[in-house]
Amino acid sequence: MRNGPFVRVTGTMLLTGFLLLSLGFAVEGTFETRAQIANTFTRQSQIQQAQIDLEELLRLQIDEENSLRGYLLTRDPFYTAEYRSASAGYDAKEDAIRKTLGEQELPGADKLLIDYAHLQLEWRDTVAAPLLAHPRLRLQELDKRNKLFADYETLTAAAIRRELESTGDELALSTQEQLDRSSYLRAAWVLVFGVFAIVLNTYRSRLNRELEEERTVTEILQRAFKSESTPLPHCDVGSAYLSASSHLAVGGDVFDVYRLSENRALILIADISGKGVDAAVLTAFIKFMVRAIALRNSDPTAILTEFNVVLSKAVGDPYIFVSMFVGVLDTDTFRLTYASGGHDAAFVRRPNGVAQLAVTGPVLGVMEEPFGTETIYLQPGDTLVLATDGLTEVRNAAGEQLSDQGAMELIERASPGAQQLADELAANVRARGGNRVGDDLAILAIRVVDGKAPSA
Amino acid sequence: MRKASLFLIVCLISVSGNARADCRVHKGEHVVLYSTTDDPAVLIWDSRARLREYHAASFDEAQAMLPHALLVSPGTHGDVVSCIPGYVVSPLFTTPDDAVGVSITNGSSRGAVRWVLGSDVRPLRKH
Repeated sequence: MRNGPFVRVTGTMLLTGFLLLSLGFAVEGTFETRAQIANTFTRQSQIQQAQIDLEELLRLQIDEENSLRGYLLTRDPFYTAEYRSASAGYDAKEDAIRKTLGEQELPGADKLLIDYAHLQLEWRDTVAAPLLAHPRLRLQELDKRNKLFADYETLTAAAIRRELESTGDELALSTQEQLDRSSYLRAAWVLVFGVFAIVLNTYRSRLNRELEEERTVTEILQRAFKSESTPLPHCDVGSAYLSASSHLAVGGDVFDVYRLSENRALILIADISGKGVDAAVLTAFIKFMVRAIALRNSDPTAILTEFNVVLSKAVGDPYIFVSMFVGVLDTDTFRLTYASGGHDAAFVRRPNGVAQLAVTGPVLGVMEEPFGTETIYLQPGDTLVLATDGLTEVRNAAGEQLSDQGAMELIERASPGAQQLADELAANVRARGGNRVGDDLAILAIRVVDGKAPSA
Repeated sequence: MRKASLFLIVCLISVSGNARADCRVHKGEHVVLYSTTDDPAVLIWDSRARLREYHAASFDEAQAMLPHALLVSPGTHGDVVSCIPGYVVSPLFTTPDDAVGVSITNGSSRGAVRWVLGSDVRPLRKH
């Protein structure tokens, strides 16, 4: 049996799931990229701040040196105050830059800055301090040392500047790459999703086409092998058939009223496991096979026994089983002999209530156990009601099954006419399921309207 | 053989010419000395090797070499007597610098011939 609707539902869920997954990835990717870019921008701005601070540091260093020169030229204490102020500012600024470089993990620049600060401290100790103490002490060696410091500090500062510029350039490049990557990623997601959607849509279209073809074939087969209820003498016969709501779930239930002779009729109702073309074909097989067997031997037990053998050996599918009720009704005496292979939904409505007919054997196709035969006599006004499990197992909105007892109550309250009864039961099943029929349903009602019926 | 020798001489002249072209100043040029660092005074060295070592050395090593240098005021004039392109390298330089031999023509070091970093000399245009 094919599982077309299941595959279709699974395909829809898969498509929806993939859409949501893609959306999730895209959103997550966007947030992640945004966070990365924000982080890079923060680092860039810190580098820029470090560059500004470095220029400020150089200015303070020059202020220190110029204050010293001013003092040496004028001996004005104003310049010593300026010198000390510039020194303090230099130290504070140096701390700020080192903190930034530490946060940015720039060991090269950090080491250069340490060298630079060390030079400045040493300059203060070995050049500035002696000159402040002895302003007239302008020795050639001291000047040369001052020159040495100036050279090293200038070059070290230039190296730090290059390091920061290089890092800033790398960050700018990184930002550009992140933006590019983000664009490529989004484009890739759209492409992947688009291709997947196209493939899935193509697959679904093909699947729908195949299922539609199967439905068409099934309907044709059903029309060809339609359950039939031949008019019987002294009887009012009614029937109803509901296919499951899914347009693909057809077939599986069958009933038949077939006149074996002038006064004898075969009455059959069966429920086959599975749905679709295979089940529809099997219903036809059952109807005609049972007719053929019944024409040779009208004993219901013999019919079920022989059919069970045929089902096991001819069909040979261990996953197919059939519940079946077979009865032979004498339309003169209204004697009904029947055998029921696991078919529960068989009832007789009498004026004093509804009785369920006993099951006389197991479901067919499962085991080779003997079937029993029961005999009852119908009286005028009695109605034999046969149905499939679509009646007793229909669920309401709360999920509760109708059950055998519920079915019997419905049958008891139904209208007297056989067709009316069948229609009312079918309508009730439809209403109970919220206008959705979850399983196939076949109903056959035979009401004795007149005639001579011996007492049981 | 004579052709080969001629070719070799031409090549050497060519290489020599190219080397001279790479120097920022040339032999015989009048130049003025001033430094672009924070201190515009210029250290002039008694040998080009020391000039190079000074810039390649650590700070302490460089400090120990100072007795081999004279400090001249910015604006000191001189004549170029030699130039070696890209001779001076330093971990702190982005590109190698020239070593320039200069004969000092004014100031307290007048008459001295010393070696100076290429970036500390500028051609002096006479009006």
